[in-house]
Amino acid sequence: MSGSEVLSTLLGSEIRGDLLVLFHKNPGLIDTADGVARRIGRATVTVISDLRELLQLGILKQKRIGNSDVVFLDRAKDRDLLESVANHLKTVRISGEK
Amino acid sequence: MTAARSKTGASGFDQLYPGKAEEGLRVKTGIVELDEMLRGGFMPGDAVMLAGSAGTGKTTLALQYLVNGVKLGEPGIYVTFEELPDQIYRDAKNFGWDLRKMEEADKFRVICTSPSLMLESGSDSLLDDVLRDVQPRRLVVDSLSHLEMFVKKDDMRMEAYRVIRYLKTRGVSSVLLWESPQISGASFSVTDVGLSFLVDCILALKPVEIESSMRKALVILKMRGSDHDKRFREFEITSSGIKIESAFSNYEGIISGSPRKVASEKFMEMFRGASEKQKKA
Repeated sequence: MSGSEVLSTLLGSEIRGDLLVLFHKNPGLIDTADGVARRIGRATVTVISDLRELLQLGILKQKRIGNSDVVFLDRAKDRDLLESVANHLKTVRISGEK
Repeated sequence: MTAARSKTGASGFDQLYPGKAEEGLRVKTGIVELDEMLRGGFMPGDAVMLAGSAGTGKTTLALQYLVNGVKLGEPGIYVTFEELPDQIYRDAKNFGWDLRKMEEADKFRVICTSPSLMLESGSDSLLDDVLRDVQPRRLVVDSLSHLEMFVKKDDMRMEAYRVIRYLKTRGVSSVLLWESPQISGASFSVTDVGLSFLVDCILALKPVEIESSMRKALVILKMRGSDHDKRFREFEITSSGIKIESAFSNYEGIISGSPRKVASEKFMEMFRGASEKQKKA
């Protein structure tokens, strides 16, 4: 996925942005969809589709703990994506300057 | 002759080299005065309860224990149920502890989760992955009191036992924080669900009112298999963490939160006052 595609997926919705900030600032967060929603002050139903997007993008990973599904940040993938977005932004700025 | 022969046994070796034998067997907190109080540190693999009311310094002491562990080559994990890691990183930085840097080096992790997930049992435990990645020797749970919201009071002891055993089986020395409003009042009890019997060591932090100012006291209430300092020691939260001072030697009733000067000290004060008056006259 290119830097611009990643960027548009990440910033596709306000909730996705909130989730991204939450996991990025708190890389050790491991919680259910319900717990994650509570931590950004939203209802569970409103975060499900955005969580799915982030799982598909690979930033978040999913795991089964007992009877619950939990999500957590893939630190390595997060670093890669941030790098790709930063490179994309640098390219955009350079071409803008030209 | 008899004394010399007794020194050839295992306990005799301890008598010959007490410092060395003790040192190797302890998990140092890295706070010199506390390690002295603990006669070298906590016992390895022990479950330690750190009890105290809000604002007494439980989180600071627990973080300092982990940070000092990393410095001593012992990786650590901080499990929090309420406070987000972001806030913990920020607060730690105020004491000069860069937790993010320690995380990058895979020596430290702040795990934030729900208490119910910590209690889930099955083939995969919440901590399995992180224990594999970090291989911690120390772990802090902030706090055990939060588990209470998710289990019936009658089951609390059993669930806490499960958490403690999980960590002990993996050789991890744990510090379990316990919010204990009871120890700020006149009636003193650490928990009302019998957890004091499950843990190997109990450290209590207590606010104490002396001469109209609020000071802090630390006491070791219990330490299985070891001698320890039994005195109430004053401590302060400084810009570099917990600093333990001398004992409250001239006061009694510290445990009540409103101590009074011991009779001999009162007498000395009266005596000093009278001699001052005499000098002036």
